[in-house]
Amino acid sequence: MFEPCTDIVCSFWSMLNQGPMTLTIILHTLIVLPMIWIYFDEKKKLQSGE
Amino acid sequence: MENKPTSVWTSNRFWRRSATWITGVAAVLLILLTFDSMGQMQMGTAEDIQNKVTKRIPSPVVINYKIDYVLDPYRGHEVPIIGGKTVDSATGKVSSKFEEKEKFFGRDDWSEEEARALIHKGKLTIQAKNCMDCHTLLGNGAYYAPDLTKAWLDPAWSSEGPLQAMTGANSKEEAMATFLQNPDKYPTHERMMPNLGITPEEAKAVVAYLKFMSAIDTNGFPRNFGKIKGAVDARK
Amino acid sequence: MQGNRLYEGQKLALKYFTVAIVLFGAQLLFGLIAAIQYLYPSFLFNTLDFSIARMVHINALVVWLLYAMIGAVYWLLPDEAGVEVVGVKLGTLAFYILTAAVAVVVLVYIFVQVGPGNEMTLWLITEGREYIEAPRWADIGIVAVVLVFLYNVYATVLKGKHSGILVVLMADLIALAGLYLAGMFYTDNIAVDQYWWWWVVHLWVEATWEVYVAAVGGYILIKTLNANRQVVEMWLWIEVAMMFGSGILGLGHHYFWIGTPEYWWEIGALFSALEPVPLVGLFVHVLYDWGKERGKGNSIKNIPAFAWLTVETFGNFLGAGVWGFMHTLPQINLYTHGTQWPAAHGHLAFFGAYVAIMISAIYLAVQGKAGLKEMKMTKAGWWAISLITVGVLLMTVSLTLSAYTQTMVERGMHGATWEGYFIAQANKWFVQGMGWRLASGLAVVAGYALLVYDLLTVTKKQPAEVTEGEAAVQTA
Ligand code: HEM
Ligand code: HEM
Ligand SMILES: [Fe+2]
Repeated sequence: MFEPCTDIVCSFWSMLNQGPMTLTIILHTLIVLPMIWIYFDEKKKLQSGE
Repeated sequence: MENKPTSVWTSNRFWRRSATWITGVAAVLLILLTFDSMGQMQMGTAEDIQNKVTKRIPSPVVINYKIDYVLDPYRGHEVPIIGGKTVDSATGKVSSKFEEKEKFFGRDDWSEEEARALIHKGKLTIQAKNCMDCHTLLGNGAYYAPDLTKAWLDPAWSSEGPLQAMTGANSKEEAMATFLQNPDKYPTHERMMPNLGITPEEAKAVVAYLKFMSAIDTNGFPRNFGKIKGAVDARK
Repeated sequence: MQGNRLYEGQKLALKYFTVAIVLFGAQLLFGLIAAIQYLYPSFLFNTLDFSIARMVHINALVVWLLYAMIGAVYWLLPDEAGVEVVGVKLGTLAFYILTAAVAVVVLVYIFVQVGPGNEMTLWLITEGREYIEAPRWADIGIVAVVLVFLYNVYATVLKGKHSGILVVLMADLIALAGLYLAGMFYTDNIAVDQYWWWWVVHLWVEATWEVYVAAVGGYILIKTLNANRQVVEMWLWIEVAMMFGSGILGLGHHYFWIGTPEYWWEIGALFSALEPVPLVGLFVHVLYDWGKERGKGNSIKNIPAFAWLTVETFGNFLGAGVWGFMHTLPQINLYTHGTQWPAAHGHLAFFGAYVAIMISAIYLAVQGKAGLKEMKMTKAGWWAISLITVGVLLMTVSLTLSAYTQTMVERGMHGATWEGYFIAQANKWFVQGMGWRLASGLAVVAGYALLVYDLLTVTKKQPAEVTEGEAAVQTA
């Protein structure tokens, strides 16, 4: 399943690139997840009337 | 002026913070990826070739070697093979690399320094003559003339090909250089290449660049290059 | 806008707009020459070859859009900040220097054309890299002029009001200018060369320019519809989030085949696939605001500007979003890369995303200069927008037909060789597409002539009194 090297040169990014979607899902998650925190932080501020 | 937003979704500040965060992460990721890519895209050296290390962009001394473009079963597309003595064109099986030499303008012992100088002049000429505003190189450029990515491997320039025959030269590199100096004297179609005042030295350097470029690993672009012969175009 | 009294910055904007429109004409003229050469290759052969015609065509495009972009900023800057542009004298000097430099560069392109293969040519004649061929001396001049521009923007905003639109513009313009530096060096390694070249080209048109358009589009909405600033700025931040979020890593769609690692397939495919999303958002936003204001019975303050803004949102979505998406997945791009596909997409995208909104901004300035409260569409203006828009759409469809043929015949059937290339070029479908492209190009040129005429006369052709309500119906 897991292939340590999927390209001519092995690198961190090519390791994450295990199939048609793995790398891009990881990157999208990294970008979107913290927005949930921003959302709740803003909600808190809104409720406390800032 | 600020109305009290009723929901986070309509809060300007929420979107401003999100925009800043997203832009920042995307930019940082791009920079990290660029470092990684730049590392892999450095031009190789003659030593790499001696040690049989494959590089995406090989050393210019590849002009001393025979170059093939064959299907790699593992990567699922065609890759350039430099100096492959035993390449089975049917199965794409490669059992040797960096071995078989091929003379370039009568020599197969171009030193790294000489080869680099040639490539340097070739690239400068390609830019100075604006090749990219008619042709594509690595697929980028204009669409008025054929793609040059693998032009070195094009069957038309081979010893049986019409282009080599037309120039009367008896090697691929000489044919290409002759053509480049006086393209309007060797028309293949109504659409001709103009005379760009390319000198003999510049022509030699450009041909060296084309050979070098054909050895760049382009992840299988163009696909099936030169493999489909005699396909019938009924509508022509 | 405040009657006939313009800010000095706005007068400078008018200068930029004037040169922009002239260069737009040059762009079309040289595009026409290149299009004729596709059908009649002996036309100007060895005199003004295709490569030269094309170079002038696309460079004029980029340069006039930059002129118009700078112009639009100088127009809205004092209005938004509420103060005169700081350093407007310096800005005017920079304008004349830039214009002189552009004239020299174009003359050298046309009369010197190419040089010997050495560094000197790159310094003095051309760098030979599509879109940014300008010789290095001009690069340095451009950087200097842009620094003056940036200084003026920053100094003015710091002195005046910091609206959300201005904050976004300030951040965006810095990135836009900085990116140009990525295209200014030479390397023997063509893969590395193209890697950085795309930083300029892609990160301009699919990130920083798009955000610029979202900001200026917001300003035009406020001016033409009286749209609610709060809502406009919220949308603006959403646009920034989505455009930079998809567009920055979407750069990967140019890194499939140029000697770059394979992981770019995935990154380029999926990030760029999301790029159309904000473009739909922009489109919906404008239509929504329009409907809302009409519902309230409010009139449109500048119908030509608003009409061109509508063309921009639709054209941006169609040209960049739909036509871009069509060839952005690597499985498809493997066959479409380097064919007429990018040309089809490039025409509609540049027109839809940038040309239309710049014309909109120019109409706004024309209105402001005359000090009109409202401005209606004239007959000439109506014909201009119709001919140009329909012309570019038809051109895109023709190029798409040719592109299909080229992809199938050259790439699919003949393995992308020299011979395969010419077989595809001779195919009946391909040639017909080229014919339609030329015909539609003529329509665009006709529309351009009317546009120039209209820009010069529209303010004199306004009805003496424009009643409210009537103006809103006028667009129908
Ligand atoms: C009179 C109308 C026009 C004609 C006849 C025309 C013709 C052409 C031709 C022949 C090319 C060269 C394509 C090739 O390399 O094969 C070209 C390229 C280009 N044109 Fe136009 N054009 C016209 C208007 C426009 C407009 C209005 C725009 C943008 C707003 C535009 C943007 C471009 C771009 C971006 C390219 C480069 C495409 C690429 O490399 O993918 N053109 N045009
Ligand atoms: C306003 C925005 C855009 C403009 C002005 C624009 C313009 C262009 C131009 C002129 C090219 C051809 C470059 C060349 O000469 O080689 C190009 C290539 C390309 N564009 Fe866009 N584009 C825009 C947005 C998009 C979007 C949103 C997508 C994807 C969803 C996209 C996908 C592509 C792809 C995949 C190519 C590469 C074609 C190839 O070389 O194989 N573009 N774009
Ligand atoms: Fe792009």
